[in-house]
Formats: sequence, C-alpha cells, structure tokens
Amino acid sequence: MLKIFIVEDDTRLVELLENFLQKYGFITYAVKNFDAVTADFQAFDPHIVLLDINLPKFDGFYWCRQIRVVSTCPVLFVSAREGKMDQVMALENGADDYITKPFDYEIVLAKINSLLRRAYGTYASNQNGRNINVHNLILDVERLCISYGEQQAELSYTEAKILDELMRKSEHVVSRDRLLEKIWDDQTFVDDNTLNVYVTRVRKKLAQLKITNAIQTVRGQGYRLMPNWSSR
Amino acid sequence: MKLFIREQLPLALIYILQLLVILLIYRLDGHTDWKISLYACLLSSCLFGGYLVYRYITNRSFYQKLTTPLSSLNDLKFSPQDAPLPESLEQFQKELIRHYKMDIYNYKHKLDHHIQFINQWVHQMKTPLSVIHLMVQDRDDEFSQSVKDELDRLKKGLEMVLYTARLDTFDRDFYAETLDLSELVKKVTSSQKRLFIRNRIYPELAIEKGSSITSDEKWVSFLITQLITNAVRYTEIPGEKVVFRSFIQDGKTGLEVIDHGVGIPKSDLPRVFDPYFTGENGRHFQESTGMGLFIAKQICDRLGHRISIDSVSGSGTTVRILF
Repeated sequence: MLKIFIVEDDTRLVELLENFLQKYGFITYAVKNFDAVTADFQAFDPHIVLLDINLPKFDGFYWCRQIRVVSTCPVLFVSAREGKMDQVMALENGADDYITKPFDYEIVLAKINSLLRRAYGTYASNQNGRNINVHNLILDVERLCISYGEQQAELSYTEAKILDELMRKSEHVVSRDRLLEKIWDDQTFVDDNTLNVYVTRVRKKLAQLKITNAIQTVRGQGYRLMPNWSSR
Repeated sequence: MKLFIREQLPLALIYILQLLVILLIYRLDGHTDWKISLYACLLSSCLFGGYLVYRYITNRSFYQKLTTPLSSLNDLKFSPQDAPLPESLEQFQKELIRHYKMDIYNYKHKLDHHIQFINQWVHQMKTPLSVIHLMVQDRDDEFSQSVKDELDRLKKGLEMVLYTARLDTFDRDFYAETLDLSELVKKVTSSQKRLFIRNRIYPELAIEKGSSITSDEKWVSFLITQLITNAVRYTEIPGEKVVFRSFIQDGKTGLEVIDHGVGIPKSDLPRVFDPYFTGENGRHFQESTGMGLFIAKQICDRLGHRISIDSVSGSGTTVRILF
C-alpha cells in the first residue's frame, strides 16, 4: 500500500482529499502538529508528500527543505499562489511538481500517479492501473480497452473518457454538459454534434461485446448506462 | 525681468513721489535755484538706480526661477545666491518638499499594505473555494451545476481583484517570453470550457501555425479570458461561435476575437475602455461591471500591445490585439 503524507492546515480540505485518496487505495496521514512536521514525516515514512505553502509557523518551502535533508521522496506542492515565482521557488526548494487551488481531483490523482511512477517505477504502476468494473464489464482506463467475458474492444481516448464517466455513475444520468466538459481536452473542443457522434461510436464498441441498448438517452438531460447485460 | 520690474514699480513710484515732495518743500522754503535741486535729484536717482541694478543682479536666479514653469518636483531645487529672500524661499521649499515626501511615503506605505492585504485575502479565499469545488466536483445534478457556475463566477471575481491590485506593481510582476499563440489560446479556451459549454457557445480557432508573440503568459491569458467572458456573455444565441483569428499587421502578429453577439452601440464605442462604463448593454445584461475592457486596456498599455474594438450593433463585436 502506498502512503501519502498531507501537510495542509485547512481541515475540511484535508478531509476531502483523504476521503478521495483512500478510495483509490492510498494510506493517508494528515499532519496535525505543524511544529514538528519532519518528526511526523519520519515516523510515517510516506511514498509521497502533498504540501501546502501557507502554513502556520513555517511555510511549505521551509518544510520541503527539511524533508529534503532526510529523504528524496516526491513532494507535490498544493497552493493558492499561482505566480511563476512561487512555482520556481517551490521547485528550487526541492519540490517535484505544483498544483494550484482550486484544483480537480483528477489532476491531483494524475500528478500523484505520475510522480509515483517516476520515483518507484513499475512497482507503483501496477497499483494505479485504473480498472472500472460494472457487472463484469471492465474498462481499463490506462490501456484504453474494454472487456466483457472473453470479448475485448479497443477504445479511443475520448471513447474511454465517456465510458469512464458513464460507468462510474452507472444507473445515474450523466449530463451532456458534464460529458462535454470531460472530453474537452487541451487540443480539441467538442460541440453537441461531436458528442452525439462519440456516443454512437461507444454504443458500437459495446455492441462488439454483444451489449446493446445499455446507453440510454435521457431527453433534455443526458445519458445513462443501464447494466442490462448482468441479467442475461 | 518683467517680474522684477513689476515688483519694484511701487517702490520707484514712491521714490519719485518722495523726490517731488522734498523738492516742493525746499521750493516753498524759498530755494529758487532749480539747478542744485536737479543735481540733487540726479545724484539720488543714480543711487536708487544703482540699488535696483544691485538688487536685480543678486536676485536674478530667484526671479528667473519664479517665472519659468515647473515640469517636475526636482525643478524646485536651485542654487540660491547670497540674498535673504532666495535663501529663505529655498528653506521654505525644502520644508515643503519634505512634508510632501513624508505624506507621499505614508500613502505609498499604506497602499503597499493594502495591496499585500488584498493579495493575501484572495489567496485565503481560494482555500474555501477549493473545498466547495471538491465537494461538488463529482456530483452532476442541477443543484451542483448551479453551485459550480457560481464558483466559476467567484473565481473570476477573485482573479479580477488580484489582477487589478497587481496592475500597480506591474514592473515587479512581469516576465516576457516567446509564446506560441495557438497553444496559448487553446489553453485559455480550455480553461474556460465550462463557460462555453453552459452557454452552448463554442470557440473556433483560426490561428496561423507557428504564430508566436512575445509577452507575459499570465497577463495575456488573463486578458484573453476577459475577452472570452465578454464574447460569451453578449452572445445570446446558442450554437454561435467565438472565432479566434491571427493576423499580421506592420510585421507584427495580432489576435482577433470575433463574436456574433449583440454588439456595442456606436455611441458607446469610444468609451468602452473607460472604467466602470457599461453603456447601453450594461442596462440589459446583469453582470456588466464596466471593468473588463478597462483592465484589458490597462494590461495592453503596460505590455506595449495595441487593443482596438470594432462593433456593429446587433451583429457582433471584434476585438483586436496587436502584440
């Protein structure tokens, strides 16, 4: 099990982060006593550190330097400051990456995973092969493929993103807005028509696995994945 | 010279009057030899003239100083000649300048404090914002969507506060580099995706490959965000596009942001860059603060970019930035 050490003074934020990260199988430890962060660090011996800059007593830069004296473990800064200088300062004080508030869960997870992969190699990557299983329909988000029983189908990046969203919320309606937002990456923007096209393609991919009519269109709201294959 | 004459004229008049009075008294006393009187007058006038010349020469720089217009506070300093009036004036000025400098320093200090406070405050507000953001992130109902919309607005408001406060310390907060225009616009449009999607308005990128600009990424991103916010806000028809197009003018790269929204009435156009000016559209659209374009213009001025705006009421607006 991978251990994450969280140094952040906002208890509510810590709570949300811990809940989220524990869902993905990490063990978390949140610092309560900001006088002796390094002592806690050494006692917990984590694989990765999430570190805020604005902290009581000493700032994150200071603690990062202290941690660097005893360890080379990856340090990920999470801060409201988005100035270039702050990011440079963070990196120069020994950080490995930087996220600005407000942030998305997905970005935190992606950065944590990429840092872990870099620091611990394949040992960590097994842990993070993110699979979603809905009644034996298995989506491998990293390898972009979907399988049901013996059958398998390759997916495009966007198709995988759509299925990821639908499967995580199976039996619930996922709004068009949310899907559009999820598949709008830095390279392309997607309008309603394109989304229709992608959903059609996802349906075809499911049909290859002999799953039909699983994705329902809910008029005026969005799409819903009903696990109708489980009853067969 | 003129000032000197004006200043000494009453003295000269009194002096002449005095001469006449004395002459008259002698005359009434029975002295009839006007030649002697005239000679006395001449001698006395020579002395008076000599005094005036001496006065003028010793105080010349002082009079010159008083008549030349000031262009800056530093012009106040001058090397006084050894005469009591210029010396005391210089003393007086020194005091005055010292007081002013004290005042200015105090205000500057206060302003710096204020800016620092605002910076800190905005950053503090970002933590609760993150918390709310995380709380609603995985939800997809109508309620959470509205909360997300409001969060976006809060975020934008905070950003606006931060950047407005930073305008004053621009020189310390500026880092110019070569940027790929197309990458930059993609990044900014992507960061505003929720705004686009919610309003069913989509960006269309028509940027020449390899267009590069030299500027500060953070400021230009903020600038483009302002333009996007305006373009989306004033486009009421879903499905419309906001076009980002590059162009070349006088060998420089420029960016056009074109929307097909309500446009700006011709009478309002000259004033759109004024602070707090909302014009005709401000009365129909709730969120007009009149600050967006003002700040855009301020940023452009400081970055050395040119911004201009063209609009036909009812059929759209084009904002051009020449980098």
